[in-house]
Amino acid sequence: MPTGHFGPLDRRRFLSMLASLGGLAAASRTFAHGSEFSSALGFATAPTETAARQLVRYPQKTDLILLTDRPPQLETPLHYFQSDLTPNDAFFVRWHVSGIPTTVDLQEFRLGIGGHVREPLSLSMKDLQSKFEPVSLVALCQCAGNFRSFFEPKAPGGQWASGAMGNARWKGARLKDVLDAAEVLPGTVQVGLRGLDVPPLEKTPHFEKSLQIDHARDGEVMIAYEMNGEPLPMLNGFPIRLVVPGWYSTYWVKALSSISALDQPLKTFWMDKAYRIPDNTAANEVPQHLSPVTVPINRMPVHSIFVRPDPDEQLRTGQSYVLSGVAHDGGNGIRRVEVSQDGGQTWSDSSLGPDLGKYSWRRWQTSWTPPAKGSYRLMVRATSGSGEIQPMAQWNRSGYQRDMIEHLDVVVV
Amino acid sequence: MIRSTSNPRIIFSITILVILTVSIAVYSQQPSGSASKPAVQTDVSQVQSIVLPEYPAEIAEGPHVNTYRRDCLLCHTSRYVSMQPRFPKTVWQNEVKKMVEAYGAPISEADQSLIVEYLVVVKGAAPSDTPSVPPK
Repeated sequence: MPTGHFGPLDRRRFLSMLASLGGLAAASRTFAHGSEFSSALGFATAPTETAARQLVRYPQKTDLILLTDRPPQLETPLHYFQSDLTPNDAFFVRWHVSGIPTTVDLQEFRLGIGGHVREPLSLSMKDLQSKFEPVSLVALCQCAGNFRSFFEPKAPGGQWASGAMGNARWKGARLKDVLDAAEVLPGTVQVGLRGLDVPPLEKTPHFEKSLQIDHARDGEVMIAYEMNGEPLPMLNGFPIRLVVPGWYSTYWVKALSSISALDQPLKTFWMDKAYRIPDNTAANEVPQHLSPVTVPINRMPVHSIFVRPDPDEQLRTGQSYVLSGVAHDGGNGIRRVEVSQDGGQTWSDSSLGPDLGKYSWRRWQTSWTPPAKGSYRLMVRATSGSGEIQPMAQWNRSGYQRDMIEHLDVVVV
Repeated sequence: MIRSTSNPRIIFSITILVILTVSIAVYSQQPSGSASKPAVQTDVSQVQSIVLPEYPAEIAEGPHVNTYRRDCLLCHTSRYVSMQPRFPKTVWQNEVKKMVEAYGAPISEADQSLIVEYLVVVKGAAPSDTPSVPPK
């Protein structure tokens, strides 16, 4: 993505470069309106046809950016990421099949635990809350396809900007404790996880995911019944959802209703075909040479983004601005976030916000006084607690696991 | 073929009735910023219910739009197409094939071709393009 060396700029190439710049600008902006970043850049070309983004209000939610309405996929406006915890009503929404649960009666609701177990269980909400030790942690919930719209060439799928993630405090029962109560039998290799959502056709595969049994029993994977101290909103998985700290939220099955101990790996479209990435650490490949081997997406790599400045903020020479954003990884915490104002030639440390735990994102900020009029390329990069760093460039066919170093082009007047 | 429980209009009608008896009103009035509130125990006698709004996108005119309407919008909103950037024909062929082979969409081979033709007209790009910028 760094645009240091372009060959001769024919018109098409020039346009695609503009599109790329526009996308990068939008990576750190609330709305991907063509007009906003094209005006900021001084160009009249709208970078994509997906520019118009509508705000809508769903039950129990505030105004969110509409991607799709059936099933609902709603994105969080970026300005909410100026808080450590993302409010429940602003939390992003992503369902896979149209028959999503809209009514749940807790008198009737049961979580079934079956399959390769000695004691099949049927647990009510009261059982979950009273029979298992409650645990709590802050964890980032992020869609595998967050930032997909910024990849070039484009990837088909939900055209998310930056708002398919949120940071929340989750409370619930350990999956390990529930599995232990059911007495998982020797030879169990995975657990299969299903929710109340129902596909539109008999032949459509039920949205179902699996975790390796050792992962499921690590004591951190949680069956959450509270989100930021409240019941989960219906669209975020009321009454319970799985929380898989550090892993992409495709595994965080919403409205969790069935856990099945398996003596064979789960065979399903959602594990075998969808949500797969090239088998390398940066989930990287090139269109001409797609990786022959893919694996299910898993732990989140280290990544950082800008949240401010926002699109309405005009930067002026000699004035001091707070540049800020969030950084996260998949479970080692954030050690360092560095910012560049000169396109990556020099970097300086930002100050880190409160540490809410190794699975939480970490806010960062630094002040900057633009020294002169002109265009600036701001960049941000993070280092995790284990020393993991971000790649300079990245692409994959499905637009998953974006973790490359992001930049934001600003014009100072 | 279609499960009655998954028909959004039936769900819509049922939830209209249910919503009168439930606690949605109280729940939905919670202001944003609920993150800082003290923990509350979920009331286990509670029934939660919502009514889903629909925001169908305007359907772009093109050849075989009625086939697209009938076969594709059975399972999902037209926004699955309208939100996409332009893609080369091979991408759209793969998407339609996925709907049939992975999701079990009952679309004949003839209709699959018609739908691809429609998608290429409304959201197509030349194979060598960076598909984000429509040709002028």
